[in-house]
Amino acid sequence: MSDERVLVITRVFDAPRDLVFAAWTDERSAAQWWGPKGFTSVSCTIDARVGGAWRRVMRAPDGAMLGARGLYREIIPPERLVFTYAWEKNPRHAGHETLVTLTFADLGGKTELTLRQEVFETVAARDDHRNGWSGSLERFAEYLTHGT
Amino acid sequence: MLADSLSATFSALADPTRRAILARLSVGEASVTELAGPFPMSLPAVSKHLKVLERAGLIARGRSAQWRPCRLAPEALKEATEWLDAYRRFWDESLDNLADYLKRLQSQDKPR
Repeated sequence: MSDERVLVITRVFDAPRDLVFAAWTDERSAAQWWGPKGFTSVSCTIDARVGGAWRRVMRAPDGAMLGARGLYREIIPPERLVFTYAWEKNPRHAGHETLVTLTFADLGGKTELTLRQEVFETVAARDDHRNGWSGSLERFAEYLTHGT
Repeated sequence: MLADSLSATFSALADPTRRAILARLSVGEASVTELAGPFPMSLPAVSKHLKVLERAGLIARGRSAQWRPCRLAPEALKEATEWLDAYRRFWDESLDNLADYLKRLQSQDKPR
């Protein structure tokens, strides 16, 4: 799989791992930082369970409302958090889905966070059980032989 | 509508065969037969992929020539790359805010 379109960001925070992890899963905390500079928080809801949903609405400096949402795939406090991420085209419809994987490494009081976002591979394409044709070339060839 | 076209672009690119087709076209235009060469699939299957790529605006196909050569339409890819950059900016700034938030939190006895 080509990785050139995967976004990876690594940061070290001067805070213990529990605290950094909780900043992502506690909605009152997340509301205080999740968003670019100059954006204000409109709402932030987090149901931090596997299969639970999150939704974030922000107001951009130009007044535009921006919504994003997703579902939690993996929650292993305080080490790992995996969720889907999609900007909303409108409140009822989410756009292209991406997958965000966060890993939290304990550096003895400090925490190294690695954020990995797979932008091109849809989650459906990644771990899809229904249409097994978009994962790899081998599976695709198999689908062509046996699927249609 | 911007989101719609980006969505089409990313869906089209989610498939490794279509990415391989684009990689081939990045070195020059090609016919369907030429494109089908390296893949263990039929011409109609390749044509189907080309239609998806064409609908997403990632490739353009010649109108006049009977063999309708395919070539890369780089605008859509450029847009997708810009989208990736936008995500990077979004997270970079969010993580700056997170660092500030964690600092504030630890300088207070009780987080509000």
